[in-house]
Amino acid sequence: MKQNPLVEKLSLQAESFQEAFETLIKCNTFGEITKNFYHLLRGNFLVTNILLLHKASVDAEWKLTGTKGDLKKSDLNYLSHKNQLIIKYYKKRKFDASLVLPLSDSSYLGVLIGHKLDGSDFSVFDKISLQILLQVFASAYNSFLNQQKEKKLIFDLNEKVLQLNNLIDTAIELSRFDKQNVLIELAIERIAVITNASSALVTIKNLDNGRVEDQITFPSLIPSENILKNKFMIESYFEFNSMSYRFVLSEKETRKGTTSFSHLDELLLHAITRQVQASIENEFLLKQSLEKERIQKEMSLAAAIQQTIIPKELPKIEGYELAGINIPSREVGGDYYDCIDLGKGVFAIIMADVAGKGISAALLVSTLNAALYSYLEFNIPVTELADKLNRLIYKSSPPDKYITFFIAILNSKTGELKIVNAGHNPGLISRHDGTLIKMEAGGTGLGMLDLGIPYTGENFILNKGDKLFLYTDGIPEAMNKNEEEYSDKRMIDFFMKNANLAPTKYIKSIVADVKAHVGDADQSDDITSLILKRI
Amino acid sequence: MSTDFNITSEIHNDVLVMKTDGYVNNTGGEQIVLEFSKHINNISKVVVDLEKSKVVNSIGISYLLEMIETLNQNNGKLYFVNLDPTIEKTFKIMGLFQFAEKADSIDSIIK
Repeated sequence: MKQNPLVEKLSLQAESFQEAFETLIKCNTFGEITKNFYHLLRGNFLVTNILLLHKASVDAEWKLTGTKGDLKKSDLNYLSHKNQLIIKYYKKRKFDASLVLPLSDSSYLGVLIGHKLDGSDFSVFDKISLQILLQVFASAYNSFLNQQKEKKLIFDLNEKVLQLNNLIDTAIELSRFDKQNVLIELAIERIAVITNASSALVTIKNLDNGRVEDQITFPSLIPSENILKNKFMIESYFEFNSMSYRFVLSEKETRKGTTSFSHLDELLLHAITRQVQASIENEFLLKQSLEKERIQKEMSLAAAIQQTIIPKELPKIEGYELAGINIPSREVGGDYYDCIDLGKGVFAIIMADVAGKGISAALLVSTLNAALYSYLEFNIPVTELADKLNRLIYKSSPPDKYITFFIAILNSKTGELKIVNAGHNPGLISRHDGTLIKMEAGGTGLGMLDLGIPYTGENFILNKGDKLFLYTDGIPEAMNKNEEEYSDKRMIDFFMKNANLAPTKYIKSIVADVKAHVGDADQSDDITSLILKRI
Repeated sequence: MSTDFNITSEIHNDVLVMKTDGYVNNTGGEQIVLEFSKHINNISKVVVDLEKSKVVNSIGISYLLEMIETLNQNNGKLYFVNLDPTIEKTFKIMGLFQFAEKADSIDSIIK
C-alpha cells in the first residue's frame, strides 16, 4: 500500500524532533531553552529573522528572549491577545508567521517568523512541523519547570533540616559560654543566618536608669541605627536582673531583595532568645553559687583562725576571778580577747576588734596576736607597746583595715592596772561602792594612722570587790528585728546591777540578756566580753 | 541590605581563586557569582577560599549552587578551602558536596 508522502516525510523527521526535545530538556535556564529553540526554528524553516518573546502573565509586557533581535513596537501587533494557541500565516508582510503559545505556568511565548530564505511560503509540512516543534517546546518547558520545582523543594527541605540543626547546635553552644557578650554575639549571628536576616541587633538596657548599656550588631560593622530604620523587622525581648535584652532581626533576604519575616522566623527568634535568657540566668546563678561557696570557705577558715587564737582556757589569777567569752557571728568577725601571764603576778588583759569581717580580719587578728606576744617579752611600757603595735598594723594592713584595741597590764598583787585604749569601746570598772569608771585614755585604733603621735595611758587600782568589764561592740550594737540596738546604756545598767555575780555567771547572764533583745534576728557581729573581779 | 562583604580574585592558568571576607548572604553571593561570570569562559576550576567568611546563609548558598551547576555543565569543578566547621556542616546538609569538593589548600588545586 502506498504511504502518504507527507506522513512519510514526517516519520523521517521524527528522529530530529526527538533530538530537539532532548536538546531542550537538557537546558538549565529559560534563556538557554529559548536560545536553542530559536536555532531549531531557524534550522527547520531556513529563516533568517525570527523573534522569540516571553511575557510572565497576560498583563505583563513582552520581552525578547533567546537571542537579540530588532523588535519594533508595531511587531507586537502580530501577536494575538487571546489566551490560546493561535498560529497565523501571512503573505507579503514583514513576517510569514506569528503565534502565541500559552505555557503551563500562565506565561506566554510569542514567536514571529520572517521570510524563508528561498522566498517560498510555509508548506503544509512546515505548518505541521511548526505545530510539533511548539509541542516539543511546551513539553521541554514543563520538564524545566518541574526540575526547578524539584530543585526548590530539595533546597527548601535541606534548608529546614539546616535550620533545625543550627537551632540545636546553637542551643548547645550557647549553654557552654559564660561570657554574656560572646554568648549574645554568637546568638545573633546564628539567628540571622537561620532566618536569612540581613542584619541583627541586640540592645541591652539598664531598667533602673534607662541607659543603654550595650548594643551588639551583626554584621559587626553595621551601625545600629541603620538596622532599626529598615522596613521588615521582628523582635523578641526579655528582662533579667534589672536589665532588658531586645533582639531585632532586620530585612529577610531573598534572591530578589528583601521581604517580611515568616511566623517560623519569629518562632526561631523566640527559641534562640529563650536560650540566651536561660544561659544568662544560669551564668548568674552559677556565679552566685560559687561566690556563696567561696564566702563559706573563707568564713570557715576565718573561724578556724580565730578559734586558734582565742584562749581555750584563761589563766588563774590569785585573788581574782576571771571569765571571758567569744560567740562568733555567721560572718566571722575579728574579735579577740586574751589574758597573758607575764610572770611575777603580772598579767596582760586584752580586748580587740578588727574593722571588717572574714578571712582578712582573722589574719589581722593573727598578726596582732603574734606581735603582742613578742613585744610583751620585752617588758616595755604599755604606751610604747601600743605605739609599736600601731606601726606594725599600719604597715601590714590595707588602708581600710584597723584594730580597736584595749590592753590592761595588771599587777595582781597590788591591783594596779596600766591601761591604753586604742580606739576601743571604753573599759568599765565597777567599784565596790557602786561607782562606774570608764577607761578611755589612749589614741586611735591600731593601724588607722601613723603620725608619730604617742599613745597615752592611764593607771587605776583595782580594789577588793571591784570589777573590770571589757567587751566589743557586738554587745551594745546587737540589733533586734526592728533594728533597735541593745545600747551602751542597757549594757552599763546590766553591768552595774549584776556586778556582784561571779564572773562566769555574769558572762552567761549578759549573753542571755543580749540574746533576749536580739530575738529571732540574725547575730550581726561577734559577741565578746571579759570580766575580772578582785575578790 | 548588609554590605559587610569583600572579594578578591586571581587566575592561575585555568583556575579562578576567589577569597571572600564577610557574610556570604544575598550581597556576598551575588558578588561571588558576578566575579565568576567574568571569567567563566577561561576557567575550568574555581577555588573559593572562605577563611575570612565565618557565616553563610541559605541565600548565599543558592548562589554557590548556581555556580556549581554552571561549572558542571562545562565539565568544571568547584573547590572550597579553609572551611569553618559550622560552614562545612551547613554545606553538607545543603548538598553542596555532591558536586563540589573541599580541598586542603589552594596550592593543591592550582599546581
